[in-house]
Amino acid sequence: MTTSTTFWLLFCVLAPTLLGLATLWLPKKAITARTLLALLGPVLSFAILVQHLATHGVSSITAPVASPVVEWIPILHMNLSFMTDGLGGFFGLLVSGIGILIVLYARGYFGPDEASLYRFYPTLGFFTTAMMGIVLSDYLLVTVMFWELTSISSFLLIGWDRYDKHAVKLAMQAFFTTGLGGMFLMGGVLMLGYATGINHDEGLWRWSEVLTQGAARFNPSDPLIIAAFGLMLFGATTKSAQWPFHYWLPGAMAAPTPVSAYLHSATMVKAGVFLVGRMFPVFAVLQIWGNIIIPLGAFTMVLGALIALNQHDLKRIFAYTTVSQLGLLICMYGLGSLHYEGHPNIEWDITQIANHAFYKAPLFIIAGALGHYISRDITQLNGAFKKQPWMVITMLLGGYALAAGPGTISFPAKEFFLHAIYDAHESIGSWWMLLMAMAAITAMCNVAIFVRLLTTLMGWPGGMKPASGHGHDDHGAHGEHEHEHGFWAQLIWIPALVLVSLQYVGGLMPGLWSQWFAPLETNMYHFAEGVPGALHAFMHPGVPLYVSLVAIAAGVTVGLSGLMRGAIVDVHDRIYPAMYWLAVTGGGRAFRTIQTGRFRNYLVFVLLAFLAAYVAAMILDPAMMDVPPAESPFEFVPGVLLGVIICATSILMPIVQSRVVRVIILGSCGFSVVGMYLLYQAPDLALTQLMFEIISVILFVLVLRMLPDLKETDRASGRWWRFSLGTLTGLAIGWLTFISAQSGAEPKLGEFFAKNSYTGTPDTQGRGGGGHNIVNVTLVDFRGFDTLGEITVLSIAALGVFSLFPRRKPLPTELEFDDSVVRGATA
Amino acid sequence: MTISSPVLRNSMRLILPLTLLYALYAMLKGHNEPGGGFIGGMIFATAICTYRMSHGFAAQLRLMPIHPRYLIFLGLGMALGTSAIPLLFGYPFLRSAVGEFHLPFSAHPFHYASAMAFDLGVMLVVVGVAVGMITQLSEELE
Repeated sequence: MTTSTTFWLLFCVLAPTLLGLATLWLPKKAITARTLLALLGPVLSFAILVQHLATHGVSSITAPVASPVVEWIPILHMNLSFMTDGLGGFFGLLVSGIGILIVLYARGYFGPDEASLYRFYPTLGFFTTAMMGIVLSDYLLVTVMFWELTSISSFLLIGWDRYDKHAVKLAMQAFFTTGLGGMFLMGGVLMLGYATGINHDEGLWRWSEVLTQGAARFNPSDPLIIAAFGLMLFGATTKSAQWPFHYWLPGAMAAPTPVSAYLHSATMVKAGVFLVGRMFPVFAVLQIWGNIIIPLGAFTMVLGALIALNQHDLKRIFAYTTVSQLGLLICMYGLGSLHYEGHPNIEWDITQIANHAFYKAPLFIIAGALGHYISRDITQLNGAFKKQPWMVITMLLGGYALAAGPGTISFPAKEFFLHAIYDAHESIGSWWMLLMAMAAITAMCNVAIFVRLLTTLMGWPGGMKPASGHGHDDHGAHGEHEHEHGFWAQLIWIPALVLVSLQYVGGLMPGLWSQWFAPLETNMYHFAEGVPGALHAFMHPGVPLYVSLVAIAAGVTVGLSGLMRGAIVDVHDRIYPAMYWLAVTGGGRAFRTIQTGRFRNYLVFVLLAFLAAYVAAMILDPAMMDVPPAESPFEFVPGVLLGVIICATSILMPIVQSRVVRVIILGSCGFSVVGMYLLYQAPDLALTQLMFEIISVILFVLVLRMLPDLKETDRASGRWWRFSLGTLTGLAIGWLTFISAQSGAEPKLGEFFAKNSYTGTPDTQGRGGGGHNIVNVTLVDFRGFDTLGEITVLSIAALGVFSLFPRRKPLPTELEFDDSVVRGATA
Repeated sequence: MTISSPVLRNSMRLILPLTLLYALYAMLKGHNEPGGGFIGGMIFATAICTYRMSHGFAAQLRLMPIHPRYLIFLGLGMALGTSAIPLLFGYPFLRSAVGEFHLPFSAHPFHYASAMAFDLGVMLVVVGVAVGMITQLSEELE
């Protein structure tokens, strides 16, 4: 592999976005050209990836080979390099392949709606690129970057209907949930890189390194590694909609159906599964891998299935079955950490992931199509077969796979999972029975959903009947878009048929499937010769088969019975609104409590914090309160006199009522300080202070004349309290100044500046400021950054004044304006 | 805010040029003697504000016929520019160049530091801010 390989793969990642953006150049009317151009993006990605895999082979998981590094931001450990192992390569093909079908489906779905297609293709391309980036990037932080890009692009796609406030809210919900997970993921990646780099030159920042050297470098009991794993897992669970974060996924159904079919069945939600699969080879040695992942996945699986059964909207049904299936996949990787007969307890994991994509995307596609022509509410679809036979047949083919019927790849996939649970009895004892019961309930719900779909859509007895009172509040309800006619109209269901047919290829021709997938798989132990066919399970009966049969029987019964036919609201839907309320309303209250807009209150906070810090320092270092053994500070009479004036003015300040008088007192205090500076031979400071006092007195007088008078009651309230706070602060600061002036032993900063101000010493690599005035050299050279910051702050303050008091009258353009004052003066 | 005092008005005509000159001197000489951009700017601003008090707004406008905010922009730009130029030569931000060159009619070499341009920027900002604020506020009062 050469560097050009990296660039080809980079193009493979970027192609959907680039061509998606290119469609913006086409005239709005040219929708056929637009579709074809947008189609080219994922087609190119798919083709390049296939070509790459064919030339370089699938990188093995134990000795992964990434493409040569092209430096991007080396200092942040973000470079361009891509790794196409079985998992990454499979996901790349899945994302680009389904991307192709979704581009076509969107053309059929949006029909002749030019404006929507104009906006849709670039956004879809953006998402495809983000997803390809996640699965192919070799650098962990690049993966994290693309991970966040999927959150952003899915936000854009879920909130597609910008004028629908509900949809926008749901888009934000998905964005915040998955974005939060992304933050955790980033933290985990950074911690992993740090932890693995402690005793080495460099940490592990590349997947290929993590996979090869991770096992050697990890200490499974290192708390940093465990924490890194926990954070990364949190990221994966939010993205893959695991309990309790699964609420965002059904919420994301507000998106147009092409988006739901793509993001929420096949790709984005799989990013979490992908991440778990990526971490599996090295992190599975951690004790907590199985302890967390198995229960989490299993619980999500059952919960999703039970809620799915109690829904009416087709998209919501499939959304919750997706939640359920994602739980199953996560649980599968959890079980993989256990061992059975010396092998990891996992079989053909990529096939199990592919299985879900190949039936769930078609189900969504047809749900959108039926919603387009009839309704998406299952109670309204009784007898839909007579109206849309092809769509209904495709949906039932997908539904049969959902039920994991024999003849689909779904059947062996489910058998693998049940086997994994059964084989886990070696490691986890009788807990396997609980897991098996959960899997059986899930399977039963899936079968029941299929039976319900079958009877309803065909109009057979036992199907769902129209119920009164239903509402369509989601996008894509009947009549939303103009219908397309002719060839393009058929695209609304053909992509689904293409995808679902893969299910039956796998089910009926397992040899072909094994030939395709065996190079991608890494976990093949008991079935190393290939995916078993439909008959295999029946030839080798065992507990898993009996459980499946019981589940199927129960599922058919439940599906035909009147049980669980309502539409329930998931209680977890309240999580996000509650958090949102807490953040917005609670934050608002906290803000109004703290930000009173009164300077006096802010000052109280600052002074209290200062006093608290002072007391803490005093407790930690009691020597601070010792009187330093120094000569009396009261030996220099002029200094003492000025000090008395300063103290007297300070005491007068709170006693005097009028503000203007106060300003004058403050000024006299300042001028006494100027005298003090002169006495102690600091002409720079004296000059600055003098000028500053003049200007600040002018400014104070100007501003105070604009302020309203304070009410007497307002002044009186809490006066003593404020007085004591002020006195305490003054004493504390005075004491600090006193002891810092007396501590002679420590080297002083001033000496450093004095030594280096002109020529410099070895401390400063022989460079000096080139000036004799230490104060000025400090300001413009040693502390130049400070000065730059200060003048910036000054400028901002001045701009604030300019904008607070907008000029009411125009500047006199003629300089003669109001000249009378001057003339009168000179006359 | 105008104070109609003939004494102040006439003495200001004498004091103003001297003060402004001194402000410039303090700024230029600041690297080696007491002074510097900040002080220079303060003196300059004080002089202008006092002039405004004695002669009025129109006279101030004649003296400084641009809005003070342009001084702020210019000064901040200068300070930032001087800080950033070393980056072009591969030095750290704010590295100052120090050197000497000989003037034709002077026996002493002229010592310079590029920090002076930075200081000039500081001075312009200080003048702009002080004069600008006082102008704006007194205009609001009038």
